[in-house]
Order: sequence, then C-alpha cells, then structure tokens
Amino acid sequence: MKQTEQVLVIPCSGIGKVHGLISREATYLVTDELAPDQAGTLCLALLVKGDEEALERVRTQPCITIDGCPKACAQKNVALAGGQTDCAFQVLQVLKQHRGAQPGSASGLNEVGWAVARELAELVRDKVTELSGCEVKS
Amino acid sequence: MAEEKPRVGIISCSGEEIPEGTISRLATRRVLEMLRPDQTVTLCLPLFLAGGEQERDFARNHPTITVDGCDKRCAQCGTEKYSGPVSAALVVSDMLNGKYPNCARNSRQRGEVDREAIWVVAETIAAAVDQVLAEIGAAEECGSDDASCACSRPLPGGMIVANGQEVTIPALKMIFSHLVDTGVASVPENAARILEMVAVYHPIPEKEKGAYQEALLEAYQKHCAEA
Repeated sequence: MKQTEQVLVIPCSGIGKVHGLISREATYLVTDELAPDQAGTLCLALLVKGDEEALERVRTQPCITIDGCPKACAQKNVALAGGQTDCAFQVLQVLKQHRGAQPGSASGLNEVGWAVARELAELVRDKVTELSGCEVKS
Repeated sequence: MAEEKPRVGIISCSGEEIPEGTISRLATRRVLEMLRPDQTVTLCLPLFLAGGEQERDFARNHPTITVDGCDKRCAQCGTEKYSGPVSAALVVSDMLNGKYPNCARNSRQRGEVDREAIWVVAETIAAAVDQVLAEIGAAEECGSDDASCACSRPLPGGMIVANGQEVTIPALKMIFSHLVDTGVASVPENAARILEMVAVYHPIPEKEKGAYQEALLEAYQKHCAEA
C-alpha cells in the first residue's frame, strides 16, 4: 500500500506523563508490527507548525488519533488542520480497565505499561483493518 | 516571600516519524528528571494549538529552549508562532552529526547507539540551559544541591566522602551506569574521565578536584564490583 493511502495513526506523545508515552508506543506497535503496510504515522509537531504536506495528508487520508489525556491534543490538532478523525482513542479508555495499574513513567514503560500499550494497539489495529479494508496481522 | 527561581522551558518536537524525534523526547525527559531538575520545566508542543492562552504564554513567561529532531524545526517554529522568540534552538540531527546511525523510533528496538545518542543530546541541552541561565544572571541562584522538585522527580543521589566531607551527588548511580555502558574501566587511569563526567552534573570546586577524583574512583570501583 502506498504511503499516501495508509491510515494515519497520530499519537499525542505527551511529554509530561506516562500516558503520552503509551500513546506513542502503541502507535509504533501498529505501524511497525501489527499493520505496517496499512498504517503509518505523522509527526504531530508538523501539524502544529502548519507544514503544507502534513496538512494535505490529514485532509486526504483516514486518521486515527491516540491521546494521553482529555485535552485531546492529537484529535484537536487534526481538526484544526482541516482533517477528519475517523476514530479517536484515549489511553484512559484502556487504563481504566486496569484500575490501580502503575504503567511506568513518561520516560519508560514497565511490563504493565507495555501490556496496556499492546491492548490499545490491538484496538487501533482493528480500526485500521476496518478503515483500510485490508486484512492485517492478528 | 521568597522570589521564585527562574526556570528554563524545554520544548521537544517529539516527532513520531523519525528516530531523532524519539531522541529529542527522551533527552528532554533526562534533563528534566536528572540533569537540571530544579532549573527546567516542559510543555507538550501540541498544546500550543490545542490549549489556551495559558499554554501560549509559556514562552513569554519562561526563557525557552526548543529541541527539534530535524531541520524542519517544528518545535522552534510552533513555539515562536504562538509564544514569541526562543532563547536557544537545538536540532538533534546537527548535534549528532551523523555519528549515531540507525537509531530506533520505538523503545523496543533501542540499543547502545540510541542510549549514547540520548546522552549526547541531553548533555547538550543541559549545557544550553546553563548558558541561558547564565545570560539572565540566574545560574548561581539555581545552583542548589537541593534535588527536590514538584514538577519532575530527580533520581536519588549517591554519597561519596571527599576531604572528609560527605557529599551527595544527584543520579550518581546512573552516571556510573553510563560509564560502564561506554566501556570505562574502573582503573586509576580513568579517574580524570570519571571526574569529568560527574562534573557535568555536579559542580565541583576547583581546589577539591583531587579529593573528588579519588573518592569518585573508589565509588566507581565499588559500583563496578557490585554490578
């Protein structure tokens, strides 16, 4: 699949909390392992900067956002760029299923953090399958 | 009422598409947590657009350093667009200058080259923080040994005895681990190198360097033996 036809998975990568790191690593699990042909990612900072190519990509490709907190920076930045988010995930959606879990820090995930990231990545992978119309790794 | 110490804001691009974005994010975290915990703060770059005036005031209220992965300089451009000029603008690809090839974007594939690259960038950011603080005349004020911080948690220190005085050095264990990782043997020939590395993170008075060197070598030998 061409890069321009891939589903874009865009995490917030929030630098202040572990939730941002989970969003980032879940994205890489999808783009590098679970659905490498069907999904790609895009630097969120490029949207903040207003890069023309990045704006064009979010306007023409399916987008999935993963946010670490309710400020929903990834989802909001895609909307502000004129793109449409086909599905918006929040790390807390998965974390609340693991009440009391300590997933690590903003610098590194522990075993629990990786389990949460993978669980989230599998949800994203399912959505990528739906949006791309292609079978991906299960 | 005590005057609030000035802090330098560090804004990382954290670019998801390239390894340098991951390096910018992790090096920034290292500065916040370990190298300059009392002198630095950060803000998520995407918050400039998604957030409100409070976030956009960030660079107006703090001297700010941006850390970009590539020469597109998204962090610098985004910050200057919403908050005004930055105090320093660093670019990871310039700092590494092609010396650390094949770094990984995700942490599952991170190896020795990545760890080295993160150290190099973190040390450069820390030096830039010092320079910015020096320029605003606050370096001395922020040179406290007190390693507690409300917004980022410094790593625990390690104690040495130099000239009969007990001295706690923040993150000593991590510094030693880095030396081990880079192949520095715990032999007297490397004592100056160990001192030089620790001095990056902990101010050492000129007249006490000899005593520190001896104490640090002893502590490093103990660390290596335990490892």
